[in-house]
Amino acid sequence: MPIVFACATSHAPGITAWSDVAAPEQLAKVKSGFASLREALRAARPERLLLLTSEHWANFFLDHIGAFCLGRAEHYEGPVEPWLKIEPRKIPGDPHLAARLLEHCYANGFELSHAHEMRFDHGTMVPLSFLNPTMDIPIVPILFNTLAPPRARPERCVLLGRVLRAALDRAPERIAIIATGGLSHDPGERNHGYIDSEFDRRFLSLMAEANLADLSRYTDEELLSAGAGTLELLAWLCLAGIMDARRPQVALYEPVPQWATGIGMISYGALAG
Amino acid sequence: MSAYALNKMLRDINQSAQKRQSYFADAAAFAEAYDLDGSERAAFLSFDVGAMYRMGAHGLILRPFTLLRQMPEADYLRAIRS
Repeated sequence: MPIVFACATSHAPGITAWSDVAAPEQLAKVKSGFASLREALRAARPERLLLLTSEHWANFFLDHIGAFCLGRAEHYEGPVEPWLKIEPRKIPGDPHLAARLLEHCYANGFELSHAHEMRFDHGTMVPLSFLNPTMDIPIVPILFNTLAPPRARPERCVLLGRVLRAALDRAPERIAIIATGGLSHDPGERNHGYIDSEFDRRFLSLMAEANLADLSRYTDEELLSAGAGTLELLAWLCLAGIMDARRPQVALYEPVPQWATGIGMISYGALAG
Repeated sequence: MSAYALNKMLRDINQSAQKRQSYFADAAAFAEAYDLDGSERAAFLSFDVGAMYRMGAHGLILRPFTLLRQMPEADYLRAIRS
């Protein structure tokens, strides 16, 4: 079964935890962006979600860091943040699909870490709370280390996407992909509040052109220069690798100072009948 | 990020409801379980956010920790930029 839908979105915790401090017109645009992605996702009737997301110390710590970690649990719990204003819940996983993806990656040059236990934080829960509010579609998550250097190079994330594509195309399930994170932000750090709209617009336009060559040329330093949180775009780069020549629409770009993040969304639209 | 034990402790408070409870019940006793140096322990027990940041507390560990103490964003940013 080919991939039935794919999108990417920011996951700033402020979207749910302090939504009201944003300018009302920006909040409305973000909600409407999520609504359009939710409708497209629902219309695609996915049976599984592949979630490409970043880690914020909820699962990884410096006692053991890997570049990528694929979840193979029966279920996941989240959010870990008591202040996120999202009710804690259990979300189904799919150990069988997870095992197939892992075996495929290992056979094709990517030895991902894997975990039978994983907790979801805002990086997963904020987008899910809008895109699949009932949280009933089983998920296979891949976490990217966007925190502790050294990190996977952008080029490797695109390549991981290319490798995943073959396994996703072969899967019998209707699979939708959601990548989360970014765009520019420097959360909790000295430049908290800094948004690099020029960086964001260039990144979104490269995504919209499916310009894998230039996307692969980003460096860790370039992403970091737009704020530490900008490294979360590694998940978007992996999605770009999966989608290959397919061009997404930019569904939203709003730099929201109160959430200290350039909020972006792209959608690849309906991909299969 | 150098302050390994400090980050480990703050992260534990963020992640575990049980550890959060122990911390709020008796911070000094809670900190005993971690291999902090004297200045880290002092900064932690006096809730000196600026000092913890300068010692190497990671923004995505320190900010969630201060949120548990309901520290407003402006106060947090003033502390880490001082």
